Amino acid sequence: MADTTLLPLHRADGSATYSKNGYSVVAAVNGPIEVQRRDELPEEAAVDVVLRPAAGVGGLRERHLESVVQHTLRHVILVSAHPRTLIQCTLQIVTGPEDDSVTCSLPQAASDLPVLPALLQASILALLSTSIPLSMTLTAAFVAVNSKDTLVLDPSVQQIKRASSIHLLAFSSRGDLLVVESEGDFTIDKWEEVHQKAKLICHGEEGDESESEDVSMKSDDISKLENVLKDAVERQIAKEQRWNQTIG
Amino acid sequence: MATQTIVLPGEAISSDVLPIPSNPSLALKLGPGLRHTPPSTITSVLAGTLCIDQRKNAIWVENNSGRYVPQPNDLILATVHHSSTDWYHCAITPHTTLAQLPQLAFEGATKKTRPQLNSGSLVYARVLSASKHSDPELVCYNPSTGKSEGMGELKGGMVFDVSLGMARRLLLARQREEGGIAVLEEVAEKVAFEVAVGRNGKVWVKSGGVKETLLVGRALQETDSEGLGVQEQGKLVKKLLRGM
Repeated sequence: MADTTLLPLHRADGSATYSKNGYSVVAAVNGPIEVQRRDELPEEAAVDVVLRPAAGVGGLRERHLESVVQHTLRHVILVSAHPRTLIQCTLQIVTGPEDDSVTCSLPQAASDLPVLPALLQASILALLSTSIPLSMTLTAAFVAVNSKDTLVLDPSVQQIKRASSIHLLAFSSRGDLLVVESEGDFTIDKWEEVHQKAKLICHGEEGDESESEDVSMKSDDISKLENVLKDAVERQIAKEQRWNQTIG
Repeated sequence: MATQTIVLPGEAISSDVLPIPSNPSLALKLGPGLRHTPPSTITSVLAGTLCIDQRKNAIWVENNSGRYVPQPNDLILATVHHSSTDWYHCAITPHTTLAQLPQLAFEGATKKTRPQLNSGSLVYARVLSASKHSDPELVCYNPSTGKSEGMGELKGGMVFDVSLGMARRLLLARQREEGGIAVLEEVAEKVAFEVAVGRNGKVWVKSGGVKETLLVGRALQETDSEGLGVQEQGKLVKKLLRGM
């Protein structure tokens, strides 16, 4: 189950931690702040994403992940609400799965996808805690298809290594597909299946009847990812409103 | 404020929860955190509690965190960054564009007699205009009466940071009843002090000595961070006063 905290850092305008599936990420958001002249956009806020790996300095992999997160957040944030400003999101990977280093030496498993759901979720939580106007929230799911053609949700490093394909899908709170990144061999039909499953995890909407038996059982113990966001916000508000409860 | 509805960005506010105006011609007022999409969809853009005022026919989303964004008529504490021929350039929050305070926007200021503010001095000011496309403008007097009404340079004392929600509560007319704040009244029974609350999450405190000033500031900050109720605030003040 995902582990979240809001506002762990008190110097940043907003921050959040998110841990799931062996990855733990701290996100800090500052904004709206003054933007450098060369990055300034006359009609909208510039969104800047900085990603720091758990060890060492960032490289090509981090730049790629940054650009994926940046392009996603740009559509989630109401950038027109704060023109000529900067919204800066700093993501620090704190821990990865233990045998991460083993897989990184293998070309196929040195994928950047497994960390992406944690990055997206942490950044959206941090944005929520910063009170930046957003047009929607998002949730991300990670699914692997193994060699027996079955779907594995939140696969471990070993499972990723053996998987024939891995997929990252992020959905907006309206249920629209926001991000999709897939790697490996798969057919369109398989992808459709993955899409349906991921949507179910993110939104808990009723799937089609044939699957509903085993899926509804699973979705109970997974609980839909959207609730993770709501829970975190509710806990934070309860903390902030404590003075109010003691009055009445 | 009886019902506590928590909203997330992108959630549509159903028309059942909207306040019913006493007079049908009264327009619905949307406060911060809500967006109207014609013809009649209202969605939230912030995460927070949905607040409804039936009497004023208003609805808004309240939350406590984030960075202060200037709004007209807010009282704020600003630091003078530098001055140019006609303006003082003031910082309201760190790393944002500087707000402009005209050098003549003080009580009784003329071209001959204008207040001399150095960089780093603190002013209590009102936001005259703030829009997303322009830099905010401040004034240190009430333009209709020409009186300072407590605004102007603040000398001595110390500034303490509090959360934006706490600053809003402190600025309420009836602090104890509506905001649940008794800490200032409790301290005032024993210690004399002056206080100025800025909507940008800053509180200026000045008292007889450093010890007293720190006591007031600490009491405010602890009330804020721990979310203390009225009774707990009384206990906290007693504890702090004993330590003096």
